[in-house]
Amino acid sequence: MVPVEFYFILACVMFTLGLFGALFRRNIIMVLMSIELMLNAVNLVFVAAGRSIGNVDGQVMVLFVITVAACEAAVGLAMVIALFRKYGTVNTDILRLLRG
Amino acid sequence: MLWIMLLAPLVGAVLNGLVLRRAPKWISHLVAVGSMAVAFAAAVAVYLQMMKSGGEPQVYFALNWLDAGAFHAPFQYIVDRLSGLMMLVVTGIGTLIHIYAGGYMHEEEKTYRFFTYLNLFVFMMLQLVMGDNLMVMFVGWEGVGLCSYLLIGYWFHDDNNAAAGMKAFLVNRIGDIGFLFGIFLTYKHFGTVSFSELRELIGAGSLDAVKVGAIGWITLCLFIGATGKSAQLPLYVWLPDAMAGPTPVSALIHAATMVTAGIYMMTRLNFMFYLAPMTMQVVAVIGGLTAFFAATIALVQSDIKKVLAYSTVSQLGYMVMACGVGAFEAGVFHLFTHACFKALMFLGAGSVIVAMHHEQDMFKMGGLRKYMPITHLVFLVGVLAIIGMPPFAGFFSKDEILWKAFIGGGPLLWGLGAVTAGCTSFYMVRLLCLTFYGAHRGGHHDSHAKSHDNSHDHHAHKADHSHGNHVPHETGVDMWGPLVVLALLSASVGFLGVPHVLGGHNLFEEYLKPIILIPESAQEHWEFLEATYSHNLELGLMAASVIVMVIASGTAIALYGRGPASVLTKWKTSFAGAYSTLSNKYYLDEFYFAKIVQPVRDMAEFLWAFVDVKVIDGAVNGVAELCSFMAGSISFKMTGSVHRHAMVLVVGLVCLLSVLVFN
Repeated sequence: MVPVEFYFILACVMFTLGLFGALFRRNIIMVLMSIELMLNAVNLVFVAAGRSIGNVDGQVMVLFVITVAACEAAVGLAMVIALFRKYGTVNTDILRLLRG
Repeated sequence: MLWIMLLAPLVGAVLNGLVLRRAPKWISHLVAVGSMAVAFAAAVAVYLQMMKSGGEPQVYFALNWLDAGAFHAPFQYIVDRLSGLMMLVVTGIGTLIHIYAGGYMHEEEKTYRFFTYLNLFVFMMLQLVMGDNLMVMFVGWEGVGLCSYLLIGYWFHDDNNAAAGMKAFLVNRIGDIGFLFGIFLTYKHFGTVSFSELRELIGAGSLDAVKVGAIGWITLCLFIGATGKSAQLPLYVWLPDAMAGPTPVSALIHAATMVTAGIYMMTRLNFMFYLAPMTMQVVAVIGGLTAFFAATIALVQSDIKKVLAYSTVSQLGYMVMACGVGAFEAGVFHLFTHACFKALMFLGAGSVIVAMHHEQDMFKMGGLRKYMPITHLVFLVGVLAIIGMPPFAGFFSKDEILWKAFIGGGPLLWGLGAVTAGCTSFYMVRLLCLTFYGAHRGGHHDSHAKSHDNSHDHHAHKADHSHGNHVPHETGVDMWGPLVVLALLSASVGFLGVPHVLGGHNLFEEYLKPIILIPESAQEHWEFLEATYSHNLELGLMAASVIVMVIASGTAIALYGRGPASVLTKWKTSFAGAYSTLSNKYYLDEFYFAKIVQPVRDMAEFLWAFVDVKVIDGAVNGVAELCSFMAGSISFKMTGSVHRHAMVLVVGLVCLLSVLVFN
C-alpha cells in the first residue's frame, strides 16, 4: 500500500509543472494542456484523500471536475482555432490586444 | 355674449395663423375684420346689458386657473363702467384699424401673420381690461407685450426693426418685474388678488398701519409696471423706437390701447392709490415731467411717426399726471379721447406715408393738401383735437386734467402741463404745415431712394411696383373710411365731458364715479380744494391754456406755414447745443447704453470669457485631464501579456494564502 503522502507529493509536482507551464509557455495549446495538468493534480488529491479516509465524496467531485474540464477544453480549443484563423498565430507574445 | 366678445379675436387669430395660411390676402383680411366686428357687436351688447342693469359690476366666471391652497386666481372677468368703456374702445377702434390695415398692407405678399398677431393682440388686450384679478390682468399685460414685440419686428428682415422689437420687449420686462412684485406684495398683505375682494377689503377701511404702509410699496411697484407699459420716464425709450412696426400697429397698440394699460390699471386700483399719498406724488411728478420732456423732444423731430410717438408719450404723461393728482376720471377721459384722435393721426400719417411711397421725413413732404384732400381734412380734425381747440375732444379732456392738476397738484404742475400744451400745439401745427401745406418738396427719384435707408417703416418694395410719376395720391375708401369715422369721434366725444363751469354736466365724470372709491379724508380734501378755488379761476386757466395754444400754433404757422422758414437754419446754428440735445432726445438712449447696456454686456462678456470658459469649463476639463494623466502614468503596467496577468494573479493568490495560512 503506497502511503497517501506519496500521492500528495506527486500531485504537488504535477500542479507545479502545470502552473509553470501555464505561466511560461508561449503557445496557447500548451497553456491549455498545462491547465489540464493542474486540474488532474487536484483530481489526484481528491481521489487519494477520499480513499484514505474512506469517503466517496472525493470521487464524486472528481467526476464533476472531469466534466467541467472537458467543456473547458472544448471551448478553449474552439477559441484557439478562432484565434488562429483571425491572426494566423497562437503565440501569446503576439496576441496582446489588452496592452495599455 | 361676453364669451363671444372675448373669444372672437382668438378664433380669428387661430383661423388666420393655423388654418388659412395659404389663403389669399383678402380672406385673411376678411377673417380678421370679421372677428373684430363680431367682437365689437358683442361688446356693444354686453355694454348695453350692463348699463341696463344700472351699471352695476357683473362678474363672469370662466374656469379655475391657479388654485393653490389659499391662493385663487380663476379666469374671471368683470364688466363694469370702466372695463365696459375699455372694451368698447379696444374692439371699436380695433375694428376700424383692422379695416384700414388691409389697405395699408396691400403691398405685402402675405398678410396672415400680420392679422394673426393683430387679432391675438386684441384678445390679450381684452384679457387685460376684462380680468377680475391681477393675475389675469398680468396674463393680458404680458400677452400684449408679446404681440407688441412681434408686430414692431414685423419686418424683421431689417435688423433695425428686430432690434426695436427687442428693445420694447426688454424695457417692458423691467416694468413687469415691478408689476409682479406688486402682485406678490398684494397677496402677501391682503391674501387675495381679486379686484372685487381687494376693493371690499380696502374700502371697508380699518386697515392697520402695516397694511397702509404695504399699500405704499404695492402701488409703487405697480406704478413701475405702468411706467414700462405706458412709456413714462424713465422707461419711455422703447415707444419711439416701436414706430418701426407697420403704422396700423402704431395706431392700435402704441397709441390707442396697449400703452394706456398703465392708466387703466391705476384707475382700476384707484382705491389703493388713494391710500398712498407718497406714490401719488411720484406718479404726478413723473407724469408731468414725461409730458414735458417728450413734448420738447417732439419739437425738433423730422420723422412724421417719431413726432406722433413723442406726442403719444407726452399725452400719456398727461394721463398719468391726472391719476397722480387723484383725478382718475380725467385720466380715463383723456385716454378715451386720445385713443380716438391719436389713432386718427397715426392712420392719417400712415396714409401720407403710403402716398409718399414710404417717405417719412416731413421735410420731404409738403403741399399734400392738393393731392389728398380727405386725409388732409381728417388730419386737421385730429390736430385740432390734440392741441385742444374748443370744442374738439382734446380741449375738454386736456383742460379737465390741467384744472385737476392745478387744484390737486399746485400751480407748478399746472405750469408744466400748460407749457407742454404749448409745445404740443407747436409741434402738431408744425407737422400739419410741413406735411400738407406749402410747396411739395418731395417727388424726386434720387432723394426718394436715398431716404429709403433711414426710413424705419420699411416696406419690401417690389420691382414690379413701379411708380412712373411720383405724384402722391389719395388712398382708397378702405383707408379713408375709418379715418372719417375716427374724425367724427374726435370732433364729438369731447362733449361727453363738458365741465360744469361751461354749463355742461361732465357726464363722463358722473359715469365713472362708481368706479372711484375715494377714502373719506381724501374726499373732504378734494371738496375743500374745489371750494377754495372759484369758477372764475377755472375759466381763467382755461382761457390761459387756449391763449398758449393759439400763440404756439401761430408761431408754428409763421415758421412752417410756407415750408420751413429760412430763419430756422440760423437758429439751428445759434442754438446748436439746445437743438442737438433735443434732436438726440436728451441723450437718454446714449446714457442708458453707456451706463446700463454696456456694463451688462461687459459683465456678460466676463461671465462668458472668464467664468464660463476658464472656470467652469476649466474645472470639467481639468478633472478629465487629471484622470487621463493618472491613468496614463500607470497604463504601461497593462502589457496585454496573458502570462504577466496570470503571474500577477498567482503572486497575489500566494500572498493571500500565505497570510491566511501563517496568520
